[in-house]
Parts: sequence; structure tokens; C-alpha cells
Amino acid sequence: MNKKNVRTKKPLSPVIIVIYVFLALLAVLYLAPLLWMLSVSLKDNPDLMAAPFALPAALHWNNYQEAWELGRLGAALFNSVFVCGVTLIVSLFFGAMAAFAIARMRWKLSEATQTFFLIGMMVPVHCILIPLFVRFAHLGLTNSRFGLMLPYITFSLPMTIFLMTGFFKSIPAELFESAAIDGCGIYRCFFEIALPLARTGFFVSGLMTFINNWNELLLAMVFISDPARKTLPVTLTYFVGPYATNYVQMFAAIIIAIAPTVVVYCLFSNQIVEGLTTGAVKG
Amino acid sequence: MDKILRNKKAIFIFIAPALLMFVVILVIPMFQMIYYSFCDYAALTPPKFVGWKNYQQLFFKDSTFQIAIKNSMFFMIFSAVTQQIMGLLLAVFLTNIPKGRNVFKNIYYLPCVLSSAALGLLWAFMFNPRIGINQLLAKFGIEGPLWLMDSKGFIVLPMWVIAFVALWQYVGQNMMLYMAQITGISRDVYEASYIDGASKAKAFRYITLPLVKPMMITSLSLNCIGSLKFFDLVYNMTQGGPNHRTEVLATELYAEGFNYFKYGYASAISVILLVLCLIVTLLVKKVIKVETYEG
Repeated sequence: MNKKNVRTKKPLSPVIIVIYVFLALLAVLYLAPLLWMLSVSLKDNPDLMAAPFALPAALHWNNYQEAWELGRLGAALFNSVFVCGVTLIVSLFFGAMAAFAIARMRWKLSEATQTFFLIGMMVPVHCILIPLFVRFAHLGLTNSRFGLMLPYITFSLPMTIFLMTGFFKSIPAELFESAAIDGCGIYRCFFEIALPLARTGFFVSGLMTFINNWNELLLAMVFISDPARKTLPVTLTYFVGPYATNYVQMFAAIIIAIAPTVVVYCLFSNQIVEGLTTGAVKG
Repeated sequence: MDKILRNKKAIFIFIAPALLMFVVILVIPMFQMIYYSFCDYAALTPPKFVGWKNYQQLFFKDSTFQIAIKNSMFFMIFSAVTQQIMGLLLAVFLTNIPKGRNVFKNIYYLPCVLSSAALGLLWAFMFNPRIGINQLLAKFGIEGPLWLMDSKGFIVLPMWVIAFVALWQYVGQNMMLYMAQITGISRDVYEASYIDGASKAKAFRYITLPLVKPMMITSLSLNCIGSLKFFDLVYNMTQGGPNHRTEVLATELYAEGFNYFKYGYASAISVILLVLCLIVTLLVKKVIKVETYEG
């Protein structure tokens, strides 16, 4: 009786328990710093110095307001949203077009073109930094949000093309064939069949693009020097350095900067994982 | 049907925007960078061809560059080893526990999607000599080291600290990739091996390990290239200091290019970075041989 009971309940083996303890400790190591940051952002500076690891004695919500004004986070947030938003739309559209031609159309160089784009995935952004900066300075594109979008779009394309090619290939060919018999042209095939059916693909590659560009620091730092046009990660660097002592505001600013990605992640973690894993399996 | 799919004009229209951006923003600047790397080129004067001078200077005279390349190599090897082992370990653990897999997975992956500029600031504060972790250690009567300011040793302490923070932040990615691969392995394979009397450890050694090998190539290359390009955390945690002891290739490139405006010199550094990325990718492909199994 007892034995049977044990068997149906499948008791955890000691190894599994040890694994659980390990995983739980690790989870603490991951969550504690983030929660601690939240707690610090609500303290005041003396409280922080006296007891950094205690919970805030009183909740200083005004830290957020001060950080917002001090770091010009409103402008930074707008710039980040604007630059990432336009990049997202344009790179998805251009990427989907190219992917459609690679996945669906019949031409000799389609394989070669895909390889060409994939090689682009390997090139570090550092390698084009200087020539691009020089060129853009001549064209008056430095210090402009548009100038920042161009490299962002370009570096988002390989990933988008790769993911979208996979999604377009999974659409059954019969759909296009019957549409063609009904007199549907290639452009209508693209806009009215391929695009709507690849919604998941758009979503997955869009998330990857958004996260990558939202966090991008180096290009944004080099290309934009006007404080009113800086993106969020660059604005945060104002709080670095030997003279920055407004720690509580710094943490409030960090929270503001990472909140959008945390929200996006909590809502769509499954799609993000899908994007990561399908994007990586290229052999 | 076939006719409309061979429509040359349509193909051109579909491909043109992406291709154009790629060529103008990526390919042409890349060749320009290679040319600049052989030039004496400061911001205000036009580039003047000087041959290998920049490279000679970098490899034989520039001590900061030598520190940078040493740190980058250390960082790459450390990250590759620790992240691969930890990533695989976590993936195996998570695929073997009965409950809570998704919760743990999402927690460990979370820092990967967060801005490393922001997290760099967080950790810089944590490892501040007077506040943060040292204050906690002081409670136990331990005097903590000057985490991010120490400058002794072949690989300085701040580099280790940054490397561990990077491990913390990015191990989730390797875990995710390995998990995807492991969950793709059919349960039947394991069941069959258990029936034949294999232990869990044996199953790991003879089934899991060989079958995740293809992913190891991807994961390891991403890992190595990522560490070579590494910029954000270093910039926000130490800015290359103290006294350039934590400079890595990317921060060195940034400093030479945009603090001192030595465009030619900085281009030479980016050529080296690109070459290293290529070598590492090829090396990973060569070293890890994949036999194809019937899955």
C-alpha cells in the first residue's frame, strides 16, 4: 500500500532536490540585484549610504521625477522609441521583401544572396564605425536620428532576412499557385498572401530587432553628440564617473531605461526564445 | 506560376532596398576601413598612405594595445569556457526537473535582454570600494578588495570582475540554445538507453553530448565573437581604467578613434578585431567536428 503510494507520487530523488536548491540559489543571484536596484531607487542618498541593503525607510518617488529631469530622460525615451520604432518598421519591411525573393522566387543567385546577407551577421559593428562616421559627417548625418537609423536598419537586416526566409518557406506553395491561377500578380502574392501569413515571423524578428537596438550603445554614443537627440543607453552614461554621486537618481534612471524591455520580455518571452533559437540554428 | 516567380524585375525590386543598404552601409565602409588602416589619418587631415606603420606601432610600441589584446583574449577564453560549461549544465538541469522549468529559464535569460549599459552601472556601484558589496563584507569583519580599481597581476582583478558579470548576464543565451537542442532529442533514445542499463551520467556522455555538438559550434562562435566585440560593460564599469589596465579591443578602438581622433590607427585596431573574429569562427568550425546522427 505504502509502496504503491510512493510510486504513483514519484518522490523527488535526492539528486533532483540538490538540483532544485542549486537552481533556486542561482535564481536569487539573478533576481536579487534587480530587486535591490528597485529598492535603492526609492531611497534617498543618506539612507543609501547608511544601509544600502535594507529596504527603504521611506519611499522617495520623487527620485524618478528628478532623474527624469536631470538626465533628460523624456527626450531620451522619445529618441529611443522613435529610432527603434522606425528601424523596426523599415528593417522588417525591407527584410521581408528580400526574404520573399530569396525563399519564394526562382533565380540563380538566391542562395548566394542569402549567404551574402548571413556573412553580414558576423561583421562587428566596430568595423564600420570610423568610415561611416567620416562619411556621415560630410553628409551632415551625424548628430541626427536618421543617421543613426541607417546602420541600425542595416545591422538588423541579416537576422530579419534569415528568420523571415524560414517563415516564407513554410507557407505551402499551393496557396501561391492557386492565387496565380486566379490572376494574382507577384506583388499581390507578397502583400496579400505572404505578409499576412508570416505574422509570427514578423513578431519574432521584430522583438529581436527591437531589443538589440534598444540596448545598443556604441553607435549611438559615436553618432549623436547633441544631448537632445541621445538615446536612453547613452543618457545613462551621464551618471557614470567620479563626480556622479546622485546614486539614487541613477538607479531610478536605470529602472526607467530597462522597464520597457522587462515588460516586453515578460509579455513575449516565448517568442523571444523562439527568435533566438531559430536565428541561431544556421549551422 | 513559374513565370511570375521568375519575374526578373520583381526580384530586383524585392532585393534592391536591402542589398543597397547592405552595400552602402556595411560593405563599402568595411573596405574603406581596411584602406584607412594603412593610412596616417587624423580627423582634420586627409588620409595619407603609410603602409604597415599603424600595425607596427600597435604590435611593437603601443603598450595599451597590448594590454587590450591580452584582456580581450582572456575575456574570450574565460567566457567561452565558463559560459559553455554553465550553459550546458543549466540546460541539462532544466530539462531534467519535473516542474518549474519555464520559471527558471525565464529568470536566467532575463539579463540577456536588458541593456548592458544599465547593468554595468548597477555592478559598478555594487563593486564600489566603499559601498555595495564591501559594506556587506565589512559587517563580517572582512575588508573587501578594491574590486574595480585594483591594478596588480597579469590579469587585473577588475577584468575578473567584469568577466564574472558578463557570465552572469549572458549565460542565459547559451543555456537557451542548448535547451532548444536537448528538447529536440527524442525521448525514445533516452528510454532505450535506460532499458539497456545506462545511468543518467552515461546517457549524458553518450547521447546528450554528441547530439548537442552542432549547437556547440553556433553557441561557441556567438560566444567568442560576442566577447571580442565586448564594449558596454567595460565602458560603464571601468572605462578602461585604472590606468588602461582593463582596456579591451573595443574600448581601445573607441578611445583612439573618438577621444584622440586617430582614425587610421583606430581602423587598424578594427581590422585586427575583424580578423580575430574570422579566425575564431573558422577555428571553432574546424575543431568541433560534427558527425551526423540519425535523430
